[in-house]
Amino acid sequence: MKRTRALTLLLLGTWLLTLIAIGAFAIHGLRISTDLRSFMPPPRTADQKLLMDQIGEGPGSRLLLVAIEGSAEADLAELSRALAAKLRGDAHFEQVINGAFDPASLGDQWLPYRYLLSPTLDSHTFDATYLREQLEQRVEDLGSPAATLLKPLLPRDPTLETLALAERWSPPKPPALRDGVWFSSEGVALLLAETRGAGFDPTTQGAAIDALENAFHALPNANAAKLTISGPGYFTVLINAKTRAEADRIGAVSTIGFVLLLLLAYRSVASLLLAVLSVASGALAGVAALALAFGSAHGITLAFGFTLLGVAQEYPIRLLSHRRAGEDALTSIRALWPLLATAIASAAIAYLAFFFSGVAGLQQLAVFTIAGLVVAGLTTRYLLPRVLPTRFRDAADTPGLASAAAFIDRLPRPRWLPWLLTALALVVLWRAPGPMWQNDLAALTPVPQDLLLRDAKLRGELGAPDVRYLLVLHGADADAVLRLSEVLQPELDTLVKQGALDAAELPSRYLPSLATQRARQAKLPDRATLEVALSDASSDQPFREGLFTPFLGDVEVARKLPLLTPTEFARSPLGARLASMLVKQGDGWLGLATLSGVHDAAALSAFTESPHGQASLLDLKAASESLVVAYRERILRALGVALGLLALTVVIALRSLRRAWHVLAPMSLATLLVLVVERASGISLSLFHLVALTLAAGLGLHYALFFERPVADAAEGRRTLHATTVCVLSALLVFGMQAWSSLPVLRAIGLTVALGVGFHFCLSILMARERKDGSEG
Amino acid sequence: MVASLKRAAPSRTAYTEIRFSGLLDRPLILHGELEYLGPAELGKRVNTPYREQTTIANGEATVRRGERAPRTFSLSQAPELEGFLRGFAALLGGDAPALARDFELAVSGAAANWQLTLKPRDSRLARRISAIEVDGANRTPRCFRTRDVDGDVSILLVDTLAATQLPTRPSQPQIDALCRGIKTR
Repeated sequence: MKRTRALTLLLLGTWLLTLIAIGAFAIHGLRISTDLRSFMPPPRTADQKLLMDQIGEGPGSRLLLVAIEGSAEADLAELSRALAAKLRGDAHFEQVINGAFDPASLGDQWLPYRYLLSPTLDSHTFDATYLREQLEQRVEDLGSPAATLLKPLLPRDPTLETLALAERWSPPKPPALRDGVWFSSEGVALLLAETRGAGFDPTTQGAAIDALENAFHALPNANAAKLTISGPGYFTVLINAKTRAEADRIGAVSTIGFVLLLLLAYRSVASLLLAVLSVASGALAGVAALALAFGSAHGITLAFGFTLLGVAQEYPIRLLSHRRAGEDALTSIRALWPLLATAIASAAIAYLAFFFSGVAGLQQLAVFTIAGLVVAGLTTRYLLPRVLPTRFRDAADTPGLASAAAFIDRLPRPRWLPWLLTALALVVLWRAPGPMWQNDLAALTPVPQDLLLRDAKLRGELGAPDVRYLLVLHGADADAVLRLSEVLQPELDTLVKQGALDAAELPSRYLPSLATQRARQAKLPDRATLEVALSDASSDQPFREGLFTPFLGDVEVARKLPLLTPTEFARSPLGARLASMLVKQGDGWLGLATLSGVHDAAALSAFTESPHGQASLLDLKAASESLVVAYRERILRALGVALGLLALTVVIALRSLRRAWHVLAPMSLATLLVLVVERASGISLSLFHLVALTLAAGLGLHYALFFERPVADAAEGRRTLHATTVCVLSALLVFGMQAWSSLPVLRAIGLTVALGVGFHFCLSILMARERKDGSEG
Repeated sequence: MVASLKRAAPSRTAYTEIRFSGLLDRPLILHGELEYLGPAELGKRVNTPYREQTTIANGEATVRRGERAPRTFSLSQAPELEGFLRGFAALLGGDAPALARDFELAVSGAAANWQLTLKPRDSRLARRISAIEVDGANRTPRCFRTRDVDGDVSILLVDTLAATQLPTRPSQPQIDALCRGIKTR
């Protein structure tokens, strides 16, 4: 089997070109989704369904809180106005609010609607008595310091409905107004910017935040002032960048370590590069399979997938370590293949369980991992041996390896030890502190405390809604929701007075139901009647004759206006605000009322449970945690099935229950020990721990399989030890680094895998590598 | 000259306010009392034709009218109002530098019959108010005239003029003559 150099190069070239082609296809074909919905299991409860629809898209979570400080008040006010004006024309933003609602911004054609929108006509009629009372007050207004502000409004709006609406449409607890824009108690200009993109989506949020910052810095005088942004979207971007930066840093350092380790172990740059090629083939094949099967994958799925694919680095390492001096690489791999194939097949079959879990995210994970493992295995079997350099050093001759093997052979292997460990483990697991499971995904990617405090402060100052609670109103159509909203308003006002919450913003604040509008419209007098009432009311008032003609005109127009539907209202400058509070779901409609400063969630939830039935309090945190629980249950079930399939595959492949036991027992015990150590140190387990445990178990299976393998001579035994040691060290290097990370999510994966690799290695040596003295039971 | 106008706080003085407005076909005439309580505290009480008490303190204005609940708003909500009141307070406090910071000052007339014109420097205030004019004799101001940009004029008659008997529909020239000390009747 003499290989020609040209043939080797041709093969290598073809392999590389194929990889590039697959890579190009994968990059173009796969859309990385950041939509949490594709990662989560299908929702079952009504709250979960709503959460899925509203997750990150709810009105609260799309709000960015903006603060401008560090300049004179007049400059800050000017900056606030200029920034708001710029962002209102920006496609990233639904709306920007930086002060009281200015009715003038409604435009002329909307102004007559004030009589249908303002609640004045619910309790009054435009008769002579009411108008006289109003006009008397307007005279007094003209004599007061506020005269200059009110004068422009009077001819058209003597009852000041526009001011009533401005007050009604400003946030429930607005910050202080200075120079027409919002300021905090500490003299910081405040704005609210509602993004179009979902709050959890780092891409759209990042683009929106960039647009906001660019818009700000392009303003004249912006350099002297400081811009601060907060809110869920900002945190998403921040955490995403932080996690990525830390993962990249750890990745870079551990890659260097990995390269050095392999160079040290095999003393060949070519071998190293070719070994990487196998693993890269697996990864690319996984991505390509995802692109083919789904077209898109969630970022978390990909991260999990690459983690699980860590097993694949074992394949080329096994080949490199097990090459015998004077032996062709093809011969070596043929000798190794049955065992390697068993490992690959059992892992692939086990991951099939994930495929049948019914969760899109887990199915993607299965497709990615199975395709990746199989391709990495096949390239190691059929391509790698044909391109490896023919000159190499037999790993069996590595200095020190022989004495290490001898030392390990001499280690005592008390048969009772595993059973004692198991018993101890179960006791510790039972008595372990803290909750078993971590259901709060956010706890894995925590926002720094000072930023949270700043956010709470800004939120309080702005009266911005709580991101955790939503009051959900159910109706057959949009108008039914608005009617319900009107019924609930006074009752919520009572709850606000009782201190259960600071404020509630219901959809009917912006748009009354058709019935209410109709009733108000019916109360508007016709022009002749109004003229008589007005002249009666102003007979002894100093107002100029004919001053209120625009008022008479507007009332006449309002009498004949078609009633405002949500669709019509959507075209107004306030349309976006209502649209985010009124959504169609299935064949019904939902009203989403935002709540601020919820102090007594129990009272609120009791309020929704009492007679209404069509309103419910949605606790977004509880709903998302229940989804995580559901997700975990699916993963656990899939893992259980996977374990069964794995055991079965190993038994069939080894054709011996006893040999299978030697492989599976250390693997199971090591997994248990990892759980014990983590639980004993008070760590609550998350999805990430489970995935990391799975990876560690996959690695452990390899260690046990190879240690258990009967070997022809001591040199082959040393090669097994060499291969396993290289694998263990490289895994410890990569994941041990992650275990030191400051980010809980990386720490969860790193610690679990590092611990797992250690336990699997030790227990495999003690329990699987027992055949040498020929006395096992 | 401004320094000579300084009042010791607290001081109280009766006033008559005449407001000419494009919205009204006859001027509004209010009688009441002005209170100067200190550099940043002013009070204005309307006694007739209706009762109203406005208190300005700590950057907030509180308006109480009859039986209705008092309304409080921040002065900074309307910078023009704040500037105006600052000018007024600086005048009564005899604080010439503060006055010159916010307004362009011009004096005309003689000691026994002078006129001080204040033009706002702040563009936001200038959008609402074109000038404040003070008429006085010796150390006593008698009239504060505020000219709005839209042509409306409000005149505060104080001190010796506060108790002047006015016709039911006074004209602007009549009041101006009164302020300059010209007897028209």
